[in-house]
Amino acid sequence: MIIKDFCMYCGACAGVCSVDAIRVEELKIVIDDNKCIKCGVCVKACPVSALELE
Amino acid sequence: MIETDILVVGAGPSGSMAAKQAALNGADVILIDRKSEIGSPKRCAEGVSKAGLEKLGINPDPRWIARRSTGVRLVSPDGTSVFLDDDTISLPESGFVLERKVFDKHMAMDAARAGAKIMIKTLATDLERVDDGVIVTIENMGKVDQIHAHIVIAADGPESRIGRWAGLDCTTSPDYMESCIQYEMAGVDMVNNNDIALFFGSCAPGGYIWIFPKGDDIANVGIGVLRSVADKPPYEYLDEFVKTCPETKNAQAVEVNVGGDPVGGTVKDRTGDNILVVGDAAGFVNPLTGGGINSALESGTFAGIVAAQAINDGDYSKKNFEEYIKLTDEDINKSYSKYDKVKQYLLSLSDEELNNIAEEFSKVEFSEVNTKSLIKMLVKVSPKALLKLGKLF
Repeated sequence: MIIKDFCMYCGACAGVCSVDAIRVEELKIVIDDNKCIKCGVCVKACPVSALELE
Repeated sequence: MIETDILVVGAGPSGSMAAKQAALNGADVILIDRKSEIGSPKRCAEGVSKAGLEKLGINPDPRWIARRSTGVRLVSPDGTSVFLDDDTISLPESGFVLERKVFDKHMAMDAARAGAKIMIKTLATDLERVDDGVIVTIENMGKVDQIHAHIVIAADGPESRIGRWAGLDCTTSPDYMESCIQYEMAGVDMVNNNDIALFFGSCAPGGYIWIFPKGDDIANVGIGVLRSVADKPPYEYLDEFVKTCPETKNAQAVEVNVGGDPVGGTVKDRTGDNILVVGDAAGFVNPLTGGGINSALESGTFAGIVAAQAINDGDYSKKNFEEYIKLTDEDINKSYSKYDKVKQYLLSLSDEELNNIAEEFSKVEFSEVNTKSLIKMLVKVSPKALLKLGKLF
């Protein structure tokens, strides 16, 4: 998963992640590659298209 | 290891209210928030119901009231406005437009005055269940520590993880997560700058566009869309709207906010042994309006009181939190199914149908109607309203 620089850390991605793979910090989003199943729901949920599947 | 009775994760309106009530009722409380500034960045349109604040004994303070809103203007795709007045029709989430950055801090300060200990810039990274409660691992300025609490109150927003870590089913289906973006703008030429304006139709599939006045020419201009029915991300719809709407086309943005708004209704599990879930994390968001501040404050209040009582009882089991389920069902959930049906009906309408309804409604003087006559008139224009809404009111 690629997180673009203009991400605003709102956490909409984490809210829809079914496998709890996304951690939202104040100025950082961390995606656990071991948990991520590349389903892409977070990509769609992002209000600014800051996420991209590799 | 830090010891406390109750740990509240998240210092939004719900978490601060929970912390305040729990502390007032005698419990040891710690309130943590991952941000360096409570309330910033804001994540919503900032509308709150006046009656809702009064009910909870929160006195409106000019420091955090940006504007008193006196009504709602519904706008159809062809630009026809229907004005609804606060005095004649009871409208949800209407009354005040807040300055959330000030409001959220004010609420946290109140929690502190009640005796809660606040830790800012503190991130929860893990939760482990132990015999007499939970141990939450936290990080603050690069330092890792642990908090042992008998009860944890999850007020960690739509991206809630605390509930999930505790084994509760409290995720939002992507089909019900509104994807939202909002500009705070100056130079907005509002038709009525004391009204909240809502724009429906294909400009915002699965949601709506809003203009919430914060000053004579200042407003939050935002959008929520459901990505299951919208084929573009919300910022593309909003930019298109801002450019073409006569009210916003000359306005300039001074702030941009984004976020997810869970409109799928209350989550399956809002309690478990040693845990209560509140606010957005529990899905306490009006499915029609997407508004959640009032229900956040209410659910936080109930959770704080029930949790403090549980500490008193020495019983932190799920069974002892039934009062919280009862209170939130009665006060918040009951109205949601009604609002959800109205929302489903609204979403089923085409631009043309919306235009026809607005056209009919705009001819009426609304100071004399009640909800019943409103529905009656709606059915006249749009017969399917009877099927979808007839039994509701």
